[in-house]
Amino acid sequence: MNGTETDTSEDLLTRALAGEAAAFGMLVRTHQRSVYSLALRMLSDRHEAEDLAQEVFLGLHRNLSSVESPAHLAFWLRKVTLNRAIDRLRREPRQTVSLEDAGSLVCDATEQRDPLLQRRLRALLAQLPPAARAVMLLRYQEDLNPNEIARTLNMSINTVKSHLKRSLATLRERIGDDADPGRSKTGLGCLDEAG
Amino acid sequence: MSNELNDRLRAALRPVDPGESFTQGVLARIASEPSRETVSPHRAVRMRGLRWLSGALLAVVATGFLVAHQWRAQHAQQGQEARRQVLEALRLTSEKLDLAYRVVKDKERSGA
Repeated sequence: MNGTETDTSEDLLTRALAGEAAAFGMLVRTHQRSVYSLALRMLSDRHEAEDLAQEVFLGLHRNLSSVESPAHLAFWLRKVTLNRAIDRLRREPRQTVSLEDAGSLVCDATEQRDPLLQRRLRALLAQLPPAARAVMLLRYQEDLNPNEIARTLNMSINTVKSHLKRSLATLRERIGDDADPGRSKTGLGCLDEAG
Repeated sequence: MSNELNDRLRAALRPVDPGESFTQGVLARIASEPSRETVSPHRAVRMRGLRWLSGALLAVVATGFLVAHQWRAQHAQQGQEARRQVLEALRLTSEKLDLAYRVVKDKERSGA
């Protein structure tokens, strides 16, 4: 983020704190992609995700005075979204989501290369345990490094690395299981074809 | 292959926008909530300044405690050293007196 962007975000934050609804609306627009996508990929349900994401922004509105900077705001939103999603999953455990259902939930109109593989990856990710899924989302959706993930989820760095390693191994293995053995020599199916 | 999987995951997990209706939904829910105490921009800046100031004050107090603790520890150490020196002096004096006493006694015995 460059200086001007930081200044603008800082300015937005200050104006939102002053009660300017338009400024708060801009903050919501800036962060809603990240918050909604985290919620959606954790809960695998559009309506629940939208509800949770709205709750997170309502919580932000109530606690805006505790936000110190734009970077802190992004950190706060990710942390609260994932913690609330994990709490919901703990309270109301889901039945295993089928590969087809979970993959199509987050279908993006901009998918161009190998949409089937992307759906399959999302579906496999939806079957990981919640904590591991949260780690993977922060790594691959939010592009955070393991240190930042550890801070966001209040985990040790070794736990984060272990989740990443195990989840990647699981994904590789399951993609291999799902793939048509006749189409892939390495068992990665669509990965091999696309590469 | 690992890099390829990483790239595929990044592509598969591109954030999706819930759309303008989501933003409007959030703002509508906020509008329907009891009003939050608002803070003027000037006060917001002042609040941040106060937060920094309280942090700085806390740091000064903590440093003060640390210095006082070190000063007390150093003082206690000096006291211990002085005590040790006094005891050493007393021990030496006692030895000398003992020696003098023995010499006098020996002289008395030889004189007798």
